[in-house]
Amino acid sequence: MTEAQGEIYDLGYQHYAGPRGGRLHAVRSLWVNSFRTTLGLGRGGRAKILPVLMSLVIVAPPAVYLVFAAVLGIGEQASHADFFEIMLLLLLLFSAIMAPELLIPDRRNGVTTLYLVRPLKAVEYVAARWSAFLCVTLAITLFAHVLVLAGNMLLAVSAWDYLRDNWRAIPAFVLTAVIITVFVTTIPLAVSAFTERRAYAAAFVISVFIITTPMSALLTVEDCSLARPQDAGSGAVVDEEPRAAIDGFSQGAVYFECRRLTGEYAKWFVLLDAGRAPTHLGDLLFDDDEQDDYALLVAELPRAVPIAWYALLVLGPGAALIWRYRSLKT
Amino acid sequence: MSQPLIEAQSLTKRYGKTIALHEVDMQVTNGITGLLGPNGAGKSTAMKICLGLLKPTAGEATVLGEKPYENITIRTRLGYMPEHDCLPDFVTASEFLSHMAQVSGIPPKHARTRAADMLRHVGLDEERYRHIKEYSTGMKQRVKLAQALVHDPIMVLLDEPTAGLDPAGREEMLELVRRTGRDFGINIMLSSHLMGDVESTCDRIIVIEGGAIIEQGAVADFTQESATYHIDVDDRREAVVAALAQRGIEATVNSGSLVVRLQADEQLDHVRDALAESQARVRRLAPARGKLADIFRRTAT
Repeated sequence: MTEAQGEIYDLGYQHYAGPRGGRLHAVRSLWVNSFRTTLGLGRGGRAKILPVLMSLVIVAPPAVYLVFAAVLGIGEQASHADFFEIMLLLLLLFSAIMAPELLIPDRRNGVTTLYLVRPLKAVEYVAARWSAFLCVTLAITLFAHVLVLAGNMLLAVSAWDYLRDNWRAIPAFVLTAVIITVFVTTIPLAVSAFTERRAYAAAFVISVFIITTPMSALLTVEDCSLARPQDAGSGAVVDEEPRAAIDGFSQGAVYFECRRLTGEYAKWFVLLDAGRAPTHLGDLLFDDDEQDDYALLVAELPRAVPIAWYALLVLGPGAALIWRYRSLKT
Repeated sequence: MSQPLIEAQSLTKRYGKTIALHEVDMQVTNGITGLLGPNGAGKSTAMKICLGLLKPTAGEATVLGEKPYENITIRTRLGYMPEHDCLPDFVTASEFLSHMAQVSGIPPKHARTRAADMLRHVGLDEERYRHIKEYSTGMKQRVKLAQALVHDPIMVLLDEPTAGLDPAGREEMLELVRRTGRDFGINIMLSSHLMGDVESTCDRIIVIEGGAIIEQGAVADFTQESATYHIDVDDRREAVVAALAQRGIEATVNSGSLVVRLQADEQLDHVRDALAESQARVRRLAPARGKLADIFRRTAT
């Protein structure tokens, strides 16, 4: 047995004399914590499953496209706008599931009180949580679009010529990614501020987007069954009795004027499809020529309306989120 | 007298028509100060104003020389332990404390060291890598205290720190509070509705009831020896009363003891003579000590 060669001293309580940060340091610390929480970093394996799985699902379509382009050399050059439409639903799912994790446990366990007695204001707490979540979502989205860009370059005759001719697509997809991720992160976080159950928050967000799309389609659907036949040339009504249109809208000299269920208001009701608000702005950035029903109807509105609608969909929940935390009883 | 850490002047807080605090004047100096009062007395409201979570309706409060609701940076030097649950489930105590230290302004490297040190001081060294969800109520209460101290505050505010603890856990927590105040040199304001906790732990006391301060001062002033004496005898009690009466001292019987109130120290000699004359077997002759409960009795009357 060896003899003891040293002694352990209990120095007792030691006061801290090192550097101390202020409010900015507090916000930065919370931001880092939020970033790690979103990805499940520093936690057990189970906490990582969902974020990793969801991120892989979001990146999967561009990754498959890239593999086909790089390995097999097959496929057509893809549009970033198309990929945004595919990714929107996946990003919404990711946000609906991950956003509650950032706010609800703190409130349910009373940890929010401990944050608010530190050099942090309620607004700064919300801003740190939201901006970290936004950065994670934005990073995943941009990574996916870098893959799309790489695929497009590989399918081109000359990758550099492609890049030179299409460089404008890069700021366009970056800006669109910002527009979409601000949208998909703000709304789920706002919903999470009003419930104590993570599952409820996720289900509510997903339901809203699942319900508003068919609701908008239903209210703006073209209905030809009750159209009154008109003379194709003069436009005069040739028969007062409504008749069903068969195989299209015109039969010989008689033209059937199809009407939307909500008539003149259809161009407003189409906005109910909330999920299209950010992708439509993206389409405008990409000068996408594809004109679906949504784009056709929104085109009838002043240009500022879809932009204002998007702003309302983001700022409304954002304001509700801040109000909720400012009025929180600690 | 040292510079007050907390000073309130005519501090008033109303919630609609309800008055939570009414023109409160108080001073909290170095050491351990107890804020004693029944539930709903205004203790938590006073603490929240001190932390800058609430703005007073009228009057003002300064904490460490600043108005806390105007300059929240002073919270880097304040700690707070709430009464209610405030701990996450699936995080280790070590990780949680390190994060809380960082949010209080301590750089990450120092924060980890501080977290480990604090957990050692509160007796959770061995358990620091376990999820907080697995902790007992007493252990959770110690984590709550540790998070309030991890950034080495000048002052810490403890809201009912013994709430929900069994007698053993309560005594351990009070001992930790005493160590924090006396060995660590951290000033404490402790709110409680339990007189025993305040009496055994605090140097000074502020008694609050119905939103108003009814007494404040050193605990020793409230519990000092009084001029009232208790005399316990095994027999001949009537003879003792008669002998005392002959010497102009009135004795009353309270819970089996004779109680005499002396006007001057010389009267103790008369008491001795009366006991000797009556030939009673004396079991106890002791001065009565004041109790904090007397403050509430005085207010009630």
